[in-house]
Amino acid sequence: MIADEATLSRLMAKAQQGDRPAYNVLLSEAGMWLERYFRRRVPPHQQDDLVQDVLMALHAKRATYDPTRPFLPWLAAIARYRWVDHLRKVYRNETDLLEEGDAVEDSEEDVITARVSLERLFIHLPEGQAEAIELVKIEGHSISEAAQKTGQSESLVKVNIHRGLKKLAALVEKAE
Amino acid sequence: MNRAREEMIAGLTADLAPVRSFRLRDGLVLTGVAALLTLAGVALFKGLWMGAYHGDATPFFWITNGLLLLLGSASTLAVVNMASPQVGSSREAPKWATAMVGVLPLAAFLSLIPRHDPIGTIVDPVSYHCMLDSLAASALVAIALVLWLRRGAPVSHNAAGWHTGLAAGALGTVAYGLSCALDTMTHLGIWHILPIAIAAVVGRMVVPRLIKW
Repeated sequence: MIADEATLSRLMAKAQQGDRPAYNVLLSEAGMWLERYFRRRVPPHQQDDLVQDVLMALHAKRATYDPTRPFLPWLAAIARYRWVDHLRKVYRNETDLLEEGDAVEDSEEDVITARVSLERLFIHLPEGQAEAIELVKIEGHSISEAAQKTGQSESLVKVNIHRGLKKLAALVEKAE
Repeated sequence: MNRAREEMIAGLTADLAPVRSFRLRDGLVLTGVAALLTLAGVALFKGLWMGAYHGDATPFFWITNGLLLLLGSASTLAVVNMASPQVGSSREAPKWATAMVGVLPLAAFLSLIPRHDPIGTIVDPVSYHCMLDSLAASALVAIALVLWLRRGAPVSHNAAGWHTGLAAGALGTVAYGLSCALDTMTHLGIWHILPIAIAAVVGRMVVPRLIKW
């Protein structure tokens, strides 16, 4: 079970004063909280790297925590920032958002929740872009298959994926 | 928890040193000092328009500079807050302040409609200097805010860029504006607002690259 907000805030305040045992507990608890946070946001094989990335950021920017404010929103803001950065890297490298087999490891509930979250974001995309991303990046079809299914040219499918992913990253960043 | 993470946590714990937690006040003091230094520089190199304090200024002089001061303060507060990661927006005040300041150029253009030579009224060499000097006067506040953001952990870079430009532009223009004896609605509404718009665009383009972490 992950510690409650009040405990985490207290531990972080102590960590800012140099209390190592408190910091060790805080990092472990934050790590577990982040695992849950990223479970529905990135494929399983990327989760641990992202958790460690956020813990490093927490360490580097620990002075920016204001002890009079709650801890979890502060941690969530850093986690979202690193997540958006991660999405940008994925977008730039043109690697798959979801790799084959990832969904099998997730529970059915996780898959449905992830799907619902994506569909909420897709509402903000033009139909062509959402369709191209769904077919190629989620369902795993090739560019030419997606072109045949949608009636778009292969170039247009690529452009739609490019623009759609860029817009999705911007939407996630913009969301408060 | 896996072994790699355990080792990383042990390393970070061993590396822990006490830190002074972020205080909103520090950022406000830093920006306030930068604004006061700018004002001192303007007073030294340009000289403040003393006529304004002897009743020579039109109400537009005080209204414009007052609104710009509010915009600068609201934007500064937003930027200073942005250095500390948080969920939820606290940026409503600069939006409304920007909207209020936006009335000034509108009023300036409307006041030009009945005139014979509106372009000639707008364009004069002195006005260009007002714009350029206001932009120059924005630099110190901009540097202070960027330094503050770099010390912190801003998570909304684009918003931080816009607001840094708005804050620096507005405070710089107020500082310079206290030396400017041209106090017509047309002049203030155009040439004392344009630098803020330019600063905001420059802030949006430049600041995100400087504060990435």
